[in-house]
Parts: sequence; structure tokens; C-alpha cells
Amino acid sequence: MELIPGFNRPDADVESNLPITITIPENHEWRFEVPFKLSLSLKILDGIAEIFGTELPINTDLSFSGVKYSVYAPLPQGCKLQYTLKINKEQSNTTNEPASISEYISSDTLSMKQVVNLHFYLEKKRQEATDRNLVNQHSVNQTPAPKVLLLGPKFSGKSTVAKILCSYGFKMDRCPILVNLNPRDGVFAMPGALTATPISDNFDLEAVGGYGGSTTSGTTYHNPKQPLVKNYGFEDFAANLDLYRHHISKLGVATMSRLEEDIAVKNSGVIIDTPALTIKDIRLIEDIVSDFEVDHIVVIGNEKLSIDLQKKFVHKVSNNSLCIIKLSKSEGVVELDESYIRKCQEETIKQYFNGYFRNPLSPFKTEITISDFVFYQPVDSSEFNSSLLFAPSGDSFAPDATEETEKKEDTLDKYYKKIDDFSANNLENLVLAVTQLPATNKSPNDLLDACILGYVHVSKYEESKGRLKVLLPVPGAFPRNILIATKIGYTE
Amino acid sequence: MSEIVQEYAQSLKELTFNSRPIIDTLTTIAAENTDEGDGILDVITARIYKCLPEQKLFALYLLDSICKNVGNPYNILIGDDIFKLFSHVYLLVDDNVRKKLQNLFETWRLTKAKGTNIPLFPPGELEKIGAFLKKAGPVNNGNELSNSRLIRDIDELLPIFHNKLNNNSNDTKLNERFNALNQLKFLLQNQKMQPNELKAVEAQLNTIKHQELNRSSTSANSSPNSTPTLRSNIPSSLPATPKVNTVPASSANDLFDRLINEGIITFEQDFNSPRVYEINYPKGNPNDHSDVFSSILGYQMIRSEYEQLKYNELNKLKVTSQSVQGFISSPNVSIQCKNLLYESKGLKCSICGKRFNTDDVGKNRKRLHLDWHFRISQKFKSSSNVQSRSWYLDDVDWAKFKDENLLEFQVNIANSTQSSSQFKPQESKEIPYVIIPSTETNMNNKCLICREQVKGSFNEELGEWCWYNCILQPGEPKGSRKIVHANCYNETRKRGALEDAHSGLKRERI
Repeated sequence: MELIPGFNRPDADVESNLPITITIPENHEWRFEVPFKLSLSLKILDGIAEIFGTELPINTDLSFSGVKYSVYAPLPQGCKLQYTLKINKEQSNTTNEPASISEYISSDTLSMKQVVNLHFYLEKKRQEATDRNLVNQHSVNQTPAPKVLLLGPKFSGKSTVAKILCSYGFKMDRCPILVNLNPRDGVFAMPGALTATPISDNFDLEAVGGYGGSTTSGTTYHNPKQPLVKNYGFEDFAANLDLYRHHISKLGVATMSRLEEDIAVKNSGVIIDTPALTIKDIRLIEDIVSDFEVDHIVVIGNEKLSIDLQKKFVHKVSNNSLCIIKLSKSEGVVELDESYIRKCQEETIKQYFNGYFRNPLSPFKTEITISDFVFYQPVDSSEFNSSLLFAPSGDSFAPDATEETEKKEDTLDKYYKKIDDFSANNLENLVLAVTQLPATNKSPNDLLDACILGYVHVSKYEESKGRLKVLLPVPGAFPRNILIATKIGYTE
Repeated sequence: MSEIVQEYAQSLKELTFNSRPIIDTLTTIAAENTDEGDGILDVITARIYKCLPEQKLFALYLLDSICKNVGNPYNILIGDDIFKLFSHVYLLVDDNVRKKLQNLFETWRLTKAKGTNIPLFPPGELEKIGAFLKKAGPVNNGNELSNSRLIRDIDELLPIFHNKLNNNSNDTKLNERFNALNQLKFLLQNQKMQPNELKAVEAQLNTIKHQELNRSSTSANSSPNSTPTLRSNIPSSLPATPKVNTVPASSANDLFDRLINEGIITFEQDFNSPRVYEINYPKGNPNDHSDVFSSILGYQMIRSEYEQLKYNELNKLKVTSQSVQGFISSPNVSIQCKNLLYESKGLKCSICGKRFNTDDVGKNRKRLHLDWHFRISQKFKSSSNVQSRSWYLDDVDWAKFKDENLLEFQVNIANSTQSSSQFKPQESKEIPYVIIPSTETNMNNKCLICREQVKGSFNEELGEWCWYNCILQPGEPKGSRKIVHANCYNETRKRGALEDAHSGLKRERI
């Protein structure tokens, strides 16, 4: 990029534009953070290097922007890499960010060694399961491959561990299902979604979030994944715990049947990533354990939590049906600030519609008439408990007594409410989930079990005409289905 | 004779030695001039019939190369003559070349015509060659083992068992072994085996053979079903019997020990006869023999080198659910173990870093992978690459979805699932249909590809109106009326794959 001297002058790093070479010894990590406004081009010159379990090619440029990654050298020969920086033209006006990258080499990879050991333990379990399932194909007592639940406080590196375990699993010819229960991140989907995705190929490190994308109508630059997507609609898991639990159990049922359908997946098991749950969320944790038939809980960076869980699950632990393992937190974990998280979410939404630099997509702009459709929105129960908003997350919002009476009624009310008063406030700049339920459907309770086709984005609400300007991922007719307005927003 | 064919005949004369470049060039010319297929085949057959015996093999190799790499129309046009050509060459060459011819023939049995799932040559012709080779007897039998030789061995044993069974139909053990042999034959016909696995199978067969011949050589010889070919073959395969002892003890015994340890096979031994291996069928499930047998055996046999290495390394790790916490904090796993993630899978893609095994399967996968990279980058360079996000699947479709469909090995996968599905309980071939959405009032529809009209008909079992032989156009949500004939869809997909394959070919020439 040519720059006029003295005008829009970036910092020295970028201007010099000289390649910088880094040598990483065995078992060391080169940790680096790139702001969105810069783009770092990285090339491995020699040796073996990986980012969160995904091995990097030799002498091929990878381009990263808005990431906090680390390159790990697993083998004795270490590795050598080279990088250059440039301005990321698309994001050059992003404020609130440092104007340079931060990077350093760390020898503190204790947690990495633990994750490697954990992987080989899991792989041994998978091997045992595979062999036994082979012999006992017709027996009911099949041995499941490990189903691992990752727990830990905020910024303890749960997602990173999940990525490493899945990547390593894939590298050893497995296809584990990565379940993401943290609605803050959109894993192969939108923020606000809960997903289950078989990892049948490498992660795409260059994509937003470092996961990759779901399928498209064409051939993609990187093989896509096929996630099962449940639209929760909030980025905070505690916004409506009933709805959250409901979706988790649906996801659990589908995941279990996938395991039954596909022996390769069954022999690979499940890795479940979560939001920061504490011992106060024990009911939720119990639900997850039973929905996904979890047999291993891995607690990262919180000794107390692992001890508390040992006590709570004492029966399961003593009859060996549950194994609780603790891991150290990596010193490399970065605390993310709100604006960075927000920016990542926006980029994830953009990526759903428009793809990313390697693989652009063509979404479709159209207009719909509000009266042709039926709109719902998820109920934010934390609104009713606004005083509890800042209480520790998961602090049982719904008192048990009232919940029972509510359950008897079994209505939609505590999960979704119909939108009748349309306003820019509850539609504009929001992401809507398109369900598979026709708008003509007469029994609203079906909505709870409806799967979703995908998402659309409302760019404008024209009150006078009663119309919405929407961005549709797929060109063609807008499906006449019930729409759910999520609480996930994004301004173009 | 057209100019091209004349030139072809001219170049063909240069094929006086086994020249890869000449064969490749002539194959490429054949691929580019399929219109002249008849003429080209005529000059090749003429060459095979007329050239010096020692040069016949090379012309046959050329024919083989064209049929395998180009396929249609060549393999179809020559199909009915292939036995004549093969036997003609076979009768005029020495033992060395005969062995090569046998190998060539074995590849024909295992190869499918390019881009399809049908055999390279008509099965009837291949059978004729098989029978012919059987009559001709094994060539100077080298130590090479092959699927087809073992199949022949089994074919010898089957009539003996069959006879015995006729005399003694209540002998369940006999029955089981007869079934097992049949299964093994099936397996050998459908799967490529590693040499050591072949040896293991051979050892097993020899044991059975040895025993049968010892116990009842009289009955075998006197039985009306023992055909002359059987008798003529027994002497020739007898020298193989002592080889049971020379089979490298490790490979065969390892396999059997593993099978025994896992309870799949048991053996009984009395003083007079060698070990007799028995397949242990799960009790109370007598109808499932075939399935259990073939998938167990099938799996054990296709464990690749990498999988064996992985198995051994993981076995060395002493860790259980109870000791896992200590294991995790312990020093690192050995470098050999760690390398299961890296150098044990020796082929690394330079574009994306993905790793592949160094065996043939791995090499093939890497080749498909690189072709895929190439195709993708071509597509992204051309401006025609417009795509958009697909809709998500619903729970049921997702649970049934196979991730192979997302990967670059699709062509391969399609073939391998084809063969492996034969080991699974056969799903009855159902007619595809699309349920007409309840909101739909117009029952008449048309296929978006061939534009032919499709009428709705009522399915009583489902209680729904359906469009038969159709599928929803991929990417369409449930409830859409955009349908295509399943056949039309498969055809267009095949064509797409073919075009893709061609683009791969072009790249190689550049």
C-alpha cells in the first residue's frame, strides 16, 4: 500500500514493512495479538508449528487480523517463522484498538503439555471404544468414546483447549463433535447460536474466530463444516435459562442420535465448550452431563470448582461413570475487553452473510412485508430480574416453586413472545432467525421444537410501509416461515 | 483410415519396449480423439495380433492404460474382445510375461470403469479369462500372493465342503466353516489386502486345506463334484503347504493372536491335526453371521500401517480413568507417540498443512487433495465463482448427515462406501420421493433439470401425496416445490466430477 508521506501515517512497524523472523524453540510459544486495523502475514520457514492444534503449512502465507493467537513448536527441531505487517484496508478506521501488534515468546507451556497428555489419554479411550464396539456391534453395551465437558472461569482458555482437542483428534483420523454452548461466540454460526459440529477437517485459522464456516452453495476455499444450529438469541447464557436448557437438551438428543448413526463419530466422542459456569450453575451442569452423557469433566484453572464438582457428582465419580480432571490455565490466555468481543461478534455475523477475504459470499438484499410474516422474540427473563442482572451468573433465576406451576401450563410464554408492536427498536439492525415452521402454522408451541434454516439481517424498518429491508444469505424467495428476532445486533 | 489413425498406427510401431512415455502419449492422444475410438482400437488390436510375441505385452499395456485412464468408449468397444486378445497373448509368451499378464488381469478384476461403478470389462469376459487362467494353471508359481489366487484356493475348497454338507447336513460346525469360506471369498473379491494379511489368510486356508486333504483325500478324489480342474490344481498348490511354516511367524500369528485375544476366533487342537481356527459367532444371533464375520475380519485386515503404529504407541501408555490426573501432570509422552500427530503421517500438504499417510491410500488421498486445491484456486480465479451461504439442516437430516460429503475425497469415498455398504445390512433400494407440502394445491410439477412433467401420486403407507423418483433440489428448504429427478441430479453431478477430473489432467500436462 502506497502511503503519502505525513498523511495517515501508521506506526513504524507497519511502515518499515520489513519481514521479521522469529525462532521458536521446542515447547515454546510465540504469542501474538493483531488488532483489526492491521493484518499480519505469517509464513513458517522451517520446522513444525501449530496454532491451537492446527498445523501450519511451510512457506505459505497466512493472513491474520483481529486475532490473539499463539504459534506453538511441539517438536525438538522447533520452528522458524517470518511475518510482515500491513494496514488492513477494510478495518483501518477501527478505533479503540492499539495501533501495533503485541508479541513475545513464552517458555511457559505447562498447560500445553497437559493438553497434549490429555489428548493422548482421550485417544487411548477412543481406541478402546473403537475396538470394543467392533467386537460387540450387536450388543447393547457399547463402549462410548469419551464425551468431555470443559468448564472453567472466564478467560481460562476453554475454547482454545476445545480447539486443540478437536484438531488433534482430527489429526489422528477421528471426527469428534465440537459442541459450543457459549452463545457469546458463533462457532460455525452466529453469536447467540448453540451448535454441534463434527470436526471432519482442520479448522480455518484465517476465518473469524479461527473456526471456519458452514456450507455454501459452491465449493469453498476451505472445506466447510456442517453444524447443527439452535438459535438461542442472546449472547448471555443466563438471559433465559429455561430456553437455554431447552435448546441444550434438543442439541443433546440430536448429538446422541448422530453418534448412533455414524460409527466414526461415535468412536470419536464429543468435546463440549461452555460459557463460564460456576458451582452455582450446578443444575445446569447436571443437565448438560445428562443430556450429552458426559463421562469426563475437564476443569481449567479452578481447583475449587473441580473439588466442588467431585462432591456434587460423588456417585458418578465413585462408580467410575464420571471422571473429573483438572488442567492448569495457560498463562497465555488474554483477557478480552468488551469492545473486542463485540467486534468479533460483528465480524462473525458479517462472515455468515458475506464470507471472508478468502471466500467471499454473495448475500441477497430484499424487502418483506411485515404482515406476511409472524414474528417472535425470546423472552429475556433477566429483564424481570433486573436487580439480579449483576448477580453472579446462573444464580437460579426461576425459583423452583413457581417453575413447577409454570411447567404444568407448558406454554410458550416463558420462552418466546409474539411481537405485535413492531418498532425499529425490536427489529432494526437485528439478526432474525428463519425457522422451518411455515408462517401459517397454527400451534405456537411447535415453535419450541422448530429447527432453523438460517439467519437474515434487518437493515431498516420502514414504519410507514410496514416493510423491512433484509439481507438474506440465500438468493431467491424469502421463506414464508415464522421468524424469531434475536437480541443479536449489528449495524452495517 | 483417417489421418489421426494413420499417425497413431505409425507411433504404435515405436512401442517395441515397455516405454512409459510412449504409452502415456498414446493414451493422451486416445483421450483427445474419442471420436476416432474405433479406428484407434483397430490399429491397437492389429498390433497385438501381428507384432512379435515379446512386444505384445506392451501393446496390451497401452490398451490397458487407455481403458483405465480414458474409459468410455474404449473399454466398452473393446470389452467383448478382451478375452480373445488376452488369451492370444498369453499363449505366445514365456512364463515371465505370463506372470505379468496375470497381474494385469487381477487389476482388471478390481478396477471399475472410470467415473462409474461398473466393472472395467464385461464380467462374462473376465470370467472367461479367469477360467482360462485356471485351466492354464499357475505360472511357475512365484511367491506372490494375490486376492485372486486365494479366491482360487477357496474355490477349490468350497466343493469339498459342499459335498460333505450334502452328506452330513446337520453338522453345524461344518456349516459355519462353509459359510465362513464363502464370506472370506466375498471379502477377497471386494477388498484390496495388505501382503501380510494375505499371508494370514493363506495360512488359514492352508490349514483347512491340509486338514481336509489329509482327512478325506479319498472322499475328495472320489466325489463326483471334484472337477478335473480341482484335481489338476491340488498338486500345484501342495508345494505351498509347507509354506505355512515359512510364513513370517509374526504377521500371521500376530493377527490370529489378536483375533483370539479379542475373542473373535477360538482354536482347538488335538494331537493328530494342526490347529483349527473357528470364528466365534455371537450366540443367539444366527442370522447375522455374515455381517459380523465380514466386518470384524474386514476391519482387522484393513488396519493401515499408521493405525498399527498408533495402536502400539497407545498401548504403551499406562493410563486409566483412575490415574489420568497423575498422567496429565507427568512428563510428556514419548516423541514417538507425539509424532503420531506429525511425522508418522509423513505426507504434508504444502498449501494447507494437512497430513496424509505414506501408504497407497494416503498417497491417493493427498493426490485428490492437491487436485482439489488446484480446482478451487482455478474457480476462485475465474469470476464465475458466485456462491452464498446454504441453509442449515434440521435435526433429523443433520443426525443422518455424513461429513464425507464435505470433503475433497468424495469420488473415492463414494466408491469405498459403495463397497463397505455391502458389509453393512443391505438397505433396500428405496425409490426416492418428495412429500408434497400440505400447503401445495398444484400436484403437477416438473424436474428442474430435464423439464419433464412429474405428477403427484398418493403413498398409502405415509398417507401423503408424493412426487416419486425425485429429490428436492439441493439447498432447497423442506416444503419447497423445486424438485429434480434423482437420476438427473446424479447424472449432472457425475458430469461435474468428470469435468473436474479433466481439469486435473490438463494441469499435469502443463
